[in-house]
Amino acid sequence: MPNLNPKSWPLAIKLSLTITAVVTAVGFMIGTVMVIQDWTRAHEVLGEKALLLSESVAITAPKAIVRKDFWSLYLGLKNLRSGSNEIISAMILDAEGRVQAHTNPAKNPMGLRFSPENELEMDLYGQAMGARKPVVFSSGGFNQAGFQEGVIPIFSDQKYLGVVRVRLSVARLYEKAKTSALIVLALVLCFVIIGSALGTLVSRHMVKPLTAVTQGLEAVGRGEMTDFSPISIKGKDEIGRLSVTFNQIMVELAEKKMLEEEVAMSEKLVALGRITAGVAHEVNNPLAGLLNCIDTLRKHPNDKALFERYLPVIDQGLHRIKEIVHNLLVGLRIEEGDEMVGIDHIDKLRDLIKAEIAERDIKIVWENQADRNLSISGKLEQIVYNLLRNAVEVLTDGGVIHCRMYQKGSYLTIEVEDNGPGISAAIRNQLFDPFFTTKSNGTGLGLWVVYRLTQNLEGIIEVESEEGQGTTFHVSVPVARAKAA
Amino acid sequence: MISLNVCLKSARLICLFLALATTPGFAVAADPPIRFGLTAVVVTENLRFLDQWSDYLAAKMDREVELVLRKSYREVMDLLNSGAVDFAWICGFPYVQKRDPETVQLLTVPVYRGAPRYHSYIIVPHNSPYKRFSDLKGKIFAFSDPDSNSGFLYPLDLMVAREERPESYFRQTFFTFNHAETVQAVSEQFADGGAVDSYIWEYLASYSPEMTEKTRIIKKSPSFGFPPIVARSGLDQVTVELMKNTLENMSRDSAGQSLLSQLKLDGFGDYSDSLFNDIRAMANRVQIDDANFQVQLAE
Repeated sequence: MPNLNPKSWPLAIKLSLTITAVVTAVGFMIGTVMVIQDWTRAHEVLGEKALLLSESVAITAPKAIVRKDFWSLYLGLKNLRSGSNEIISAMILDAEGRVQAHTNPAKNPMGLRFSPENELEMDLYGQAMGARKPVVFSSGGFNQAGFQEGVIPIFSDQKYLGVVRVRLSVARLYEKAKTSALIVLALVLCFVIIGSALGTLVSRHMVKPLTAVTQGLEAVGRGEMTDFSPISIKGKDEIGRLSVTFNQIMVELAEKKMLEEEVAMSEKLVALGRITAGVAHEVNNPLAGLLNCIDTLRKHPNDKALFERYLPVIDQGLHRIKEIVHNLLVGLRIEEGDEMVGIDHIDKLRDLIKAEIAERDIKIVWENQADRNLSISGKLEQIVYNLLRNAVEVLTDGGVIHCRMYQKGSYLTIEVEDNGPGISAAIRNQLFDPFFTTKSNGTGLGLWVVYRLTQNLEGIIEVESEEGQGTTFHVSVPVARAKAA
Repeated sequence: MISLNVCLKSARLICLFLALATTPGFAVAADPPIRFGLTAVVVTENLRFLDQWSDYLAAKMDREVELVLRKSYREVMDLLNSGAVDFAWICGFPYVQKRDPETVQLLTVPVYRGAPRYHSYIIVPHNSPYKRFSDLKGKIFAFSDPDSNSGFLYPLDLMVAREERPESYFRQTFFTFNHAETVQAVSEQFADGGAVDSYIWEYLASYSPEMTEKTRIIKKSPSFGFPPIVARSGLDQVTVELMKNTLENMSRDSAGQSLLSQLKLDGFGDYSDSLFNDIRAMANRVQIDDANFQVQLAE
């Protein structure tokens, strides 16, 4: 469906429409002025002609009027008529307004007072009888029935004898004016067609680079930069310079994007390498011990004490490998599945962690201020469990763990605070790296999993820590996300 | 070469002689041209016809003939009286007017439709309601020539018979000085009525019927003597006889017949002065007012 709002029309169309409108307006204006001027001038010329014809009669009229030679007067008027087919009527009236001769004698009998047909004629008759100087009567207006009338008073030896009136039709002028108006109209139409065609071409040509720039920028907006083709540069005007700059920017953007992609790729490879190395190292260490134990047991198959001693070691080693693999799976497969649980599931972690503390002297302070009906992601449960376990592992006897949950805005925040040894500034950057650990028997995957899960939940994780004072982890996740049914 | 030169010289001499011999002025230098006065013959100044006629007369009479055209009968009469023309074709009315001494003599009379006679027609526009001459009272009337019998004297006589005068009988009158123009004035309704020569009206009816069709004859006069050809008194009798014979013999040769047929005349005939007695009687009836009246109307 075409767009009806002119504001969103392409610049090329608006420009060409504007050019067309200007050409049309100018053409019509000039045409109209020409036709009107032509008409006015022809009208004046016709008036002069009417006066001239009247005068030609008036020159010979006095003698004939005095001699009552009506026939000569009549023939004089008749001759006018045969000389000019524009004559509507011609008449000679005496000082009392009596007809001396008229081109239509049947209706205007000689010797009787001239009787005007209507009010306009009555008015003109009055004016003609009052005229003492040559004058032109004009019907005015632009129509076929119009006329120009030359009125000449007749004098003989300064005595007023009467008046000659010769009326010419504007019909021929009207036809001519109409024809020239039609010609002008046709010319204007030609101009409009040519002008708008040229206007369209010119504006398209001018706007083409702008359209390309716009399309290019739209592509950038959509993040597509690879299929960018440079705009051809025509001229060195503003548009030309814009095109050059745009091409440069696009090239630079494309290079930057490629660079970024390369960097991201190499970072991915680095992370993958680190994980692989960690897995290899962490799995390989117990494997060497395990293989040693199995080798020793194979050599001494009947040494029961040796079995007693080595089986727990093998068991412990395999469990460690299992834990590492489990954590890797949790950390790497976070996209899979996300079941929602009630917030009370988190409260159950309290008992779980108490069991882990067992006989040690560690206190847990639990504050859950979140909405009781809130649903949360199962991943959040894993996050909190990892953070609690981490706290328990760093604390010695007399330690205290604060676990607080509250809602702020559209976020649910969980804080896990301990009064342990804290984290030195030097290692804070590596805190969430996989296989980074400060504990002798840690896998270095707990906080990495926390970080990965928080990221997945579009949450934020912050660490506050001071050496010797303790550490606080703040995890905030969107409630909407946690609440989603 | 020499013989050719001689030939050329003699040829030149012959040419010179021939040129001198054929120059008309050289040949008729002894006799002055015969001058013939006319008003418009029939319709207008049909000059081609007049040339043919003057050439015909000149050839027949072996004298140069010059046709002199004037607007009115009065001007032609003045030319006759002063001797400026030798012959003239005038109307019966000026012919019968008394002159002392008499300046004209009757030469010959045209024969029209078998007789030297014609009528006056009183005509009105074909669509007008007028049926009688009396219906034209208070209307506009067109006369032809103040010296015309059919175009002025006859309608004047009609008014005199009613004891009326034209200036009171009609609202307006005017002279066209030409019968054909009187027909035009009536056909175009410039005049409500007019008096014309029957010969001219019939002539127009056959050559330009569109004009006469717009007129209607409401009165036809008794027949009058046809406008005659006259000679000025005192003209030598040889010339008078030569002209009379030439005109009266026109119907006897084809060139003359052709000219006569253009005029729609049968020929010219020798008639006595009594032919114009009717006109003379009318002129006598209106004579009393004549001098005054004509001045009043024409000037």
